[in-house]
Amino acid sequence: MKRLTFLLFFLIGLNPVFPLQSDSRDACISCHITVDEDLDDGDKIMPHFYDDVHYEKGLSCADCHGGDPTAFDDEDAAMTDSDSFLGEVTRDMEPEVCGKCHSDPSYMRQYTAHVKTDQVEQYWTSMHGMRLKEGNDKVAVCTDCHGLHGIRAVSDTRSQVSDFNVPGTCSRCHSDAEYMAEFKIPTDQFAKYKTSVHGKALLERRDSAAPACNDCHGNHGAQPPNIAHISDICGTCHVNNMNLFQNSHIAEIFSKRQLGQCAGCHNYHDIAKPTDEFISWSDKSICRRCHKDNENAKELATGLYNIINNLKMQNSVAIDKVENAEQRGMEVSDLQYELEDVHQTLIQTRTAIHSFNTEYVQKVADKGFKAAEAAITGADNAITELLFRRKGLFVASLIISFLVIVVYLQIRSYEDKD
Amino acid sequence: MNKQTRKKFLDTLLGGGLIAWLGAIIYPVSRYLVPPRTPDINPDSLDVGKVSDFQTNSAKIVRFGRKPAIVVRDKNDTFHALTAVCTHLDCTVQYKSDTEQIWCACHNGIYDLQGNNISGPPPRPLTQFKINFKNGKIFISRENMA
Amino acid sequence: MNNLMAWLEERFNISAATKFAAKKKVPVFYGTVWYYLGGVSLFLFIIQVFTGILLILYYRPGATTAFESVKFIITKVQFGWLIREIHSWSANLFIFFLFAHMFSVFFSKAYRKPRELTWYSGMFLLFMALGFGFSGYLLPWNELSYFATKVGTDIAGAVPGIGEFVLRLLRAGDDVSGATLSRFYGIHVAILPAIFTLILGLHLVMIQVQGMSVPPEQENLPAEKKKYMPFFPNFAMRDFLIWLIVLNVIALLAVFFPWDLGIKADPLSPAPAGIRPEWYFMFMFQTLKLIPAHVLFIEGELLGILAFAFGGIVWFLVPLLDRKAHQGKRSKFWTFFGIALIVYMIVLTIWGYLV
Repeated sequence: MKRLTFLLFFLIGLNPVFPLQSDSRDACISCHITVDEDLDDGDKIMPHFYDDVHYEKGLSCADCHGGDPTAFDDEDAAMTDSDSFLGEVTRDMEPEVCGKCHSDPSYMRQYTAHVKTDQVEQYWTSMHGMRLKEGNDKVAVCTDCHGLHGIRAVSDTRSQVSDFNVPGTCSRCHSDAEYMAEFKIPTDQFAKYKTSVHGKALLERRDSAAPACNDCHGNHGAQPPNIAHISDICGTCHVNNMNLFQNSHIAEIFSKRQLGQCAGCHNYHDIAKPTDEFISWSDKSICRRCHKDNENAKELATGLYNIINNLKMQNSVAIDKVENAEQRGMEVSDLQYELEDVHQTLIQTRTAIHSFNTEYVQKVADKGFKAAEAAITGADNAITELLFRRKGLFVASLIISFLVIVVYLQIRSYEDKD
Repeated sequence: MNKQTRKKFLDTLLGGGLIAWLGAIIYPVSRYLVPPRTPDINPDSLDVGKVSDFQTNSAKIVRFGRKPAIVVRDKNDTFHALTAVCTHLDCTVQYKSDTEQIWCACHNGIYDLQGNNISGPPPRPLTQFKINFKNGKIFISRENMA
Repeated sequence: MNNLMAWLEERFNISAATKFAAKKKVPVFYGTVWYYLGGVSLFLFIIQVFTGILLILYYRPGATTAFESVKFIITKVQFGWLIREIHSWSANLFIFFLFAHMFSVFFSKAYRKPRELTWYSGMFLLFMALGFGFSGYLLPWNELSYFATKVGTDIAGAVPGIGEFVLRLLRAGDDVSGATLSRFYGIHVAILPAIFTLILGLHLVMIQVQGMSVPPEQENLPAEKKKYMPFFPNFAMRDFLIWLIVLNVIALLAVFFPWDLGIKADPLSPAPAGIRPEWYFMFMFQTLKLIPAHVLFIEGELLGILAFAFGGIVWFLVPLLDRKAHQGKRSKFWTFFGIALIVYMIVLTIWGYLV
């Protein structure tokens, strides 16, 4: 019997969900872990607390909920009699409770040297924080994003706030029309974002560099970006586009009319992959949304569009020619390097469009025209070489065929003799 | 035509044909034996020019194999050679002389001169090439493989 | 000219050779056309030696240089493309004509007494030609050849007992690498050519000494019904005529159907889809693919290898096994065996390319 008990303890000890040692880590766990029938479900320790980064770092219940974790076998001493006992941490208490440690640089330094302790401070500046202060506890608090009793480190890919999970986490509230009704803001951001070039990059191509909600709105200090500043935010990645645009003659007009620079043409949330037709004067034109039939605008847009379009056409001519030469068995890896150069220039030219300066765009594009020219010449030379080979073959074949006939006649002349 | 002249005629044709045939073989072979202008290919090493071609705190993009490489002479006249293809979306990177960093214009990716990705979207560092000097010229090379 | 001949005659007694050559004659009957196959194979071998030597001048073995040097040859060296194309095309035709030659010899029962040694030497030459093909395939160091070599040597490694050793011996290590390339290069340009030339010499000497073989029923004809033509110049000129045509065909193929260099082998990349060996190994490759993983208690691949080894030995020893041929009779069994083999090879080769 003794051996059986031992075995039982041993088995419990192996169970990773309820490690035996942690049972006695402190008084809270030793009671709340028992599956006591008197205990409400809410008072039981949630199994996923053992996945919590706080638990991992040696913290326990009392660090958030207060109480005396050393008072074993004495419920009152452990809880109600203790001065620090908080019991349930309500939503409005959360920033303070979490901030007790997270806003204390000297405390946090024991966990990481690059300590960030401004989260709560930032939170109070956010829309969420301001509303919470007004007494609305429907807004997001710490645990809504980071999880409750199963909080994982942000660097953990299973965390709700790790790179790929942010949009889904925000959308839990922001896409819920009913829940958001009283705030009177749109709820289609996530749906739009999913179709955007950024959403596709992040969620489909799993490019963790692509921006999620927080990359534009901030995380703890989440705010809708001010329309005047939105391009600075875009510009953190799209530097050249921003610089060129802000120095263009158009920027001033945009800011006067409060068009929001980047977003004025590219939208926000549903930022589609731009097409060259944006600056054409066709019905896909973005310019015509405002400029309607303005002749100056038409001239500028058409001029810019033509440069891009010409380069694109040169590019496809070059690609076709190089491919043709390759299919006909010529070695073209040198030419493929040129093609890559054209491709790079095409990207640069599309960026240069944001200057709205035809001369500048032409200058940028010229490098690509040159490379395309080189690829086309190279491909033409390869075809010339091929024709030369065929001519050479023709001559050699002629000689061999002549010899074949002569040898045949020779044989005939021997056989005649016999 | 009597047999004798016919035979002679055929022999002449045969001789002529053989000579032409030999010519058709010897011509390409002798051309083959002449070494081409670019005498040697070393895919693992590239002559990127003289040291004096590079000004202090400047860089040059060169073609190394199938991909571009960037050779930088920094403020301290130390040379650095790296692949010039951004690890994010394959744009060609450039040298920013004011910050002494390597910069990808496409999404503001920044690398240091050792190729480490230090800011922006690039997920991986740029590969470094070895640099050798010979007779005032700079050669870049890949580390020996296999 | 006459003076030169006299000068040589004085020293080397070449009249013995010319007299022999003048007397040499070739039987004329419905099967005379098969006699050209051996000559064509010889011609293709000469082309291989010639173009191979030219390629060595620019080729550089080594994992980092092999692919680039082949690319250099076909792009930068004048007529380099031509030399390489001829070498590749001629190699394939060489194997094809060797097989054709072998089957023509087989069906005309030319292996029977007294020509057993000629058959054995011919079989050695065929094996070595396949070795030329296998080792030469790797030399451009492109993706396809790299993985085909990997698979090919893997098969050798499946032989019980010595497999591991053979595998390491072939690869010069545990994996196909630059070391394998050096080894294959050595085999391709030094070891095989030396042995091949020696055995080819023996093969030719035996044919000269014994003369051309005729099938049993021709041999049994009465003397007055047998027809001959002199080797010089009648047959030799015909040989030459055919060689010229073959050369023309190769030139045509080289210009209009160039071999793709492909992309450089990268040992770290995953194997691409559709790796296949060269066509002359296809029937074996396909057979090994079709055999189930386990047949009774032996591994399927091993069973396949053993079957091929057994088949090869039987084929090799056919002069010993075909007793009827020695008595000047055609054995229906062996004729059927040969036809079955051809059908099998063709069907599996096509199958291999279809799937």
